[in-house]
Amino acid sequence: MIKGILRKTLFETWALHLAFGIALFVVGMLLTMLLPQLEKGLNQFLTTLPFVRTFIQALLGNDFGGNINAETLRAIVWVHPTVLTLLWAHEIVYCTRLPAGEIDRGTIDVLLSWPISRRRLYVSESIVWLVAGAWLCGMLFAGYWTAGVFAPSQGDRSLRMPLVVIGNLYCVYFAIGGVALMVSALSNVRGRAMATVFGLLLASFLLNFLIQFLPEIEFLSPLGVLSYYRPASILATGKVPWADMLTLMGIGFVGWIAGLEAFSRRNISTL
Amino acid sequence: MNVIATEQLSLNYGNRTGITEVDLCVPQGEIFGFLGPNGAGKTTTIRILLGLLKPHQGTARIFGQDCWSHSATIKESLGYLPGDLRLYPWFTGKRALSILSSIRGKDLSIRGQQLLDRFQLDENVPARKMSRGMRQKLGIILALVHEPQLLILDEPTSGLDPLMCDELYRCLRELTATGATVFFSSHTLSEVELLCNRVAIVRGGRIIADESMDTLRKRVHRAVVLRYREPDDAARTQLPSFLQLEECNGAVCRCVLTGTTPQLVEWAAEQPLEDLSVSPPSLESLFRRFYEAKEPGK
Repeated sequence: MIKGILRKTLFETWALHLAFGIALFVVGMLLTMLLPQLEKGLNQFLTTLPFVRTFIQALLGNDFGGNINAETLRAIVWVHPTVLTLLWAHEIVYCTRLPAGEIDRGTIDVLLSWPISRRRLYVSESIVWLVAGAWLCGMLFAGYWTAGVFAPSQGDRSLRMPLVVIGNLYCVYFAIGGVALMVSALSNVRGRAMATVFGLLLASFLLNFLIQFLPEIEFLSPLGVLSYYRPASILATGKVPWADMLTLMGIGFVGWIAGLEAFSRRNISTL
Repeated sequence: MNVIATEQLSLNYGNRTGITEVDLCVPQGEIFGFLGPNGAGKTTTIRILLGLLKPHQGTARIFGQDCWSHSATIKESLGYLPGDLRLYPWFTGKRALSILSSIRGKDLSIRGQQLLDRFQLDENVPARKMSRGMRQKLGIILALVHEPQLLILDEPTSGLDPLMCDELYRCLRELTATGATVFFSSHTLSEVELLCNRVAIVRGGRIIADESMDTLRKRVHRAVVLRYREPDDAARTQLPSFLQLEECNGAVCRCVLTGTTPQLVEWAAEQPLEDLSVSPPSLESLFRRFYEAKEPGK
């Protein structure tokens, strides 16, 4: 039964996964190839506009010292706003499909007339979400790796640390998707669910920046999702951020379970 | 054996009443009509039967199983056509049958093709390019294709042309001949009268009648039109107890005959009448009275 639902979900979403996967591949490749070339110019730029340094610092999550070097620029690839926007936009679109999207367009009546429990439906939808996350992160990594083939002079090409960063990024994907599925499970209108998730992400993202300018709100940093995603630190120290990754997995799991329970217990009305 | 059984089923939408203490019993092999005006509670009852809504009070069972907790199991033997059918835009007959085969775990292509031919639907046209009637046909095919033991249809003929309505009625009769049960919701009396063995009428969220069609027909009264020679004659006339006046306009009076025709003829012979007409019994008038009757306490 799940096979049929998976077929339906994939049929509806394959173009979405493909488009975002290709976009992440291209962006990952271009950023990896182009960013190191900015090293000299960017440092000059930072001396004239010092607040830009704070923005980059907010993205990377730690102080990168006096000058931006190749290692710092390699870290920017993984936190570049284009990368995060693509990944999060995919999640907002995909994770609000069931049940909010189905209720919104009225197709939930047909879907729930089939002999499949709401729990199985939710699990089927989640399987595609998890596989799509692996695909997207994989494509970003493939873009990064391919850039190394075309521009082999870009320093250290060790794959271990970028793979740890990708693992951390997948945990971010899991946390956001889990919360998005929960919001969707509580909503009847897809637009409202999308706006709610977008609002939460925007607030989390802005919080990360505000903390750089307002140290007195540092205590709020655990509320920002980027506090648990520090590629610069991973690349610099070589340590696997187990605590951050487990926190993100925990957030995602709680959101996912809450969404599952809400969807299986709620009334469904398209009237 | 009752295929559908509800007891004291109630559900409110906030302050608005959905349904109140609905008791229904639908035996196996019956085509059961569920009749009521728009907003009466027909769809709410159906949504509870399908496990989409959880009742605030009472129980709903299909095949002896609770509609909320065993919803997925029940749907293995159930076909459903929603009242306001919305299909996935990319659904073609072929694709829908293929996906439904995977979900139901059996090959539905042969039976599906038979139904596509019967309802004259092109299997390759996607739902986004279909007319309302074509979408309705595809919805009916998807509800019928696995030969369900119970078919719940919410206003199935909306959007269908008369020929396709006839084809649907034939399908339903064939289905019930195999022992299946049909729960047929409608606000159109004529199709319920044509098709159903029994009918329940819902109004304001309550069941106000639940009887066999034969019993209902016996309750139907004839309409009588009395045309007097002069309007004054009409005004002066004392009607007998077996004639209830509905409307009097000049020399013409419209009445309902609650007695027998010989009684009427005997009485009419002594009246200053120019003409008298008696219409055949009509369920329409009875249902109108059900629909229009004031709710208790109002």
